[in-house]
Amino acid sequence: MSERKRNKSDILGTEGATMTRRKVLKTGAAATAAVTSFSIFSRSHAADQSLRVLCWPGYEERGVIEEFEDTHKVKVDFKIYIGGEQMLSYFSQTPRGTFDAIISDSEYIGKLKALNALEPFSTAGMPDIDNYHPKLRDVKMLRADDGKVWSVVTRFSFYGISYNTNVISHEEAQDWNILFDPKLKGRIGVFDWYLPNMGNVSMAVQPNIEDPYAISDEALEKVRQWLLKLRPQVLMFAAANQPLVQAMLAEDIYASPVGDFEIDLILAGHKNYSSTIPKQGGVRFQETAALCAQGRNKELAMEWIKYMMRAKTQSQLVYTNAFKARAPNMKVVDYWNDQQRELLSYVPDPNNPKQLLVETLLERSVPRSLPSLQPERKWIDIYNEFKSAS
Amino acid sequence: MENSAIALRGAKVRTPNQSWLREFCLLPAVAWYGVFFFGPLCFFLWFGFWRVEDYSPVADFSLTNYREIFANMFTGSNYGWGIAQSLWVSVPAALIATTCTYLVVLAIVYGVPARRQRLALLLTVAPFWSSYLLRLYAWQIILAREGAINSLLTAIGLGEWRIALMYTQIATRIGLIHYVTPILIIILYVTVSNIDRALIDVSRNLGATRLQTFRKVILPLSRVGLITSVSFATIICLGDFLSGSLLGGGGGTSLIGRVPTFPDMIMSEYGSSSNLPRTTAMASILVVIMLIVLAISIRLMTPALKGNRR
Repeated sequence: MSERKRNKSDILGTEGATMTRRKVLKTGAAATAAVTSFSIFSRSHAADQSLRVLCWPGYEERGVIEEFEDTHKVKVDFKIYIGGEQMLSYFSQTPRGTFDAIISDSEYIGKLKALNALEPFSTAGMPDIDNYHPKLRDVKMLRADDGKVWSVVTRFSFYGISYNTNVISHEEAQDWNILFDPKLKGRIGVFDWYLPNMGNVSMAVQPNIEDPYAISDEALEKVRQWLLKLRPQVLMFAAANQPLVQAMLAEDIYASPVGDFEIDLILAGHKNYSSTIPKQGGVRFQETAALCAQGRNKELAMEWIKYMMRAKTQSQLVYTNAFKARAPNMKVVDYWNDQQRELLSYVPDPNNPKQLLVETLLERSVPRSLPSLQPERKWIDIYNEFKSAS
Repeated sequence: MENSAIALRGAKVRTPNQSWLREFCLLPAVAWYGVFFFGPLCFFLWFGFWRVEDYSPVADFSLTNYREIFANMFTGSNYGWGIAQSLWVSVPAALIATTCTYLVVLAIVYGVPARRQRLALLLTVAPFWSSYLLRLYAWQIILAREGAINSLLTAIGLGEWRIALMYTQIATRIGLIHYVTPILIIILYVTVSNIDRALIDVSRNLGATRLQTFRKVILPLSRVGLITSVSFATIICLGDFLSGSLLGGGGGTSLIGRVPTFPDMIMSEYGSSSNLPRTTAMASILVVIMLIVLAISIRLMTPALKGNRR
């Protein structure tokens, strides 16, 4: 008995003899409470100093965000999504105030507005907006009341035809109807999303229409017929870049109405790939930075939006590991070498040397949007019919 | 002594299985399944009846989602064809996987010395430890038009025999078979290794040939394991989206036609539409199909289980 007590007191130290089990538990509980409260405090303190952003991939890459974090001595936490619908799901499934800013495709701004998720802001104190291409400086679907905007464009690119130059010439790629050419039978890959594909087809059947998503029922039927006619030419559908790039590289497919995924192939040394927007026009995506209405760090979020508008930031943002795109701030060229300028089309257009090639592509393209004269469901059903047509 | 024996006979003797401890010990399992399985499942099924207002799901008990889906079964979105494609891909894949696995398991149990069987088993399930996605990418390299198989055919002068497997539902099945095989090996190994060797010896001693012994003894006693394997593999294949997307190309060719599998349609719906309850309703239909497969397998297993009990 005494032996056991002695052993216990040895373990507990000099005061062990008076240390009961209750005391040990009390001390432990107090220590735990102290540590816990400290960590809770630290976490809430840290949360006040951090910025939380819901965004597409690329914004979180070190080269893009490093300078902002160093300048403002803050940590930016990113929640990455892939797809507008996933973004809406994340947003509506988290408590209001979770995010301070959102990167949203321009057509999803309307859906976020419907959720009262955004707060409009003025671009008056944002000098970088003056360096934006006019088409991206004032975007109709981003306008709010009192001269304010719901968001500003940070990155964009095109859904033209991406093709193997050994099979399709630059001239041939200027017409959407090249996709029906017999040499492309079973050699087309499709990015698996109804919005860009049907927007492009809408322009193919009604060349250079201002809004390919605001079309009549008759025009929509033409879109459906065009798609059904295209189906035998299609080999595969992919919901992400990688399978399409892989299929291009393996020469399983020769063309894809997917845009400029060929940039990565060219960078990897495969020079026989190119892309363009056909003469009938095509669709472009526009990622935009928006301020969350219930965000906890609105001032910091506004600083981040201004940071994302800078030419230097965008020069890195559109050249990330995630994927390559285009920048709305035309001063980005100051930060690029000749190869980057050429790769991203910021070089004079051979057919119109007065402007850059990217400006020509911007003129030919319209922003991706949402169907406005029919329910979305009708468009999705037509796309599904195309996908499952034998 | 005699009295106490009578008293014992009269008293109700409670075995551990009849004790209240049994229920008590089951409680954690019941709570676990309730909280992490049945609860979410019930919510999931209910969510399919919700509606959407201003892009947000609203609790309701509306049949609209199901009405729309069933109206598009063999027209418009062609969900019915998607279900048919899924069954056409999954059932043969499950049958082929089970057959191949069964042969491997027979070889391990009856061909490999007992002390080496664990190692053999370990080697056969080794692919399970690698990422499924990586395995699919590896198959892309093998099956592509300019992939390993066709390159080999060209190299040995059989260029005109090149085969187009990639972006067909055959490729989807290859990916699925590779995916489920390690799981089936475990199921079938447990079944076959538990067959009483004495029965096999008796059969052989009574003059049965090896084939007869296999047909009359081993195969009937493997029935439960085989049915479990086929149903298990079918259910896994029915729910898989990745193989159909990466190898099948999201709408690969088959006898059914160039139709995506139903899980592919569900994923496509998830990525395109703000109507999450409708997507959930589609997924609920898939769950019901899986339950039907399960019910059929239980029905087929019942006579075999009764026979084993006898």
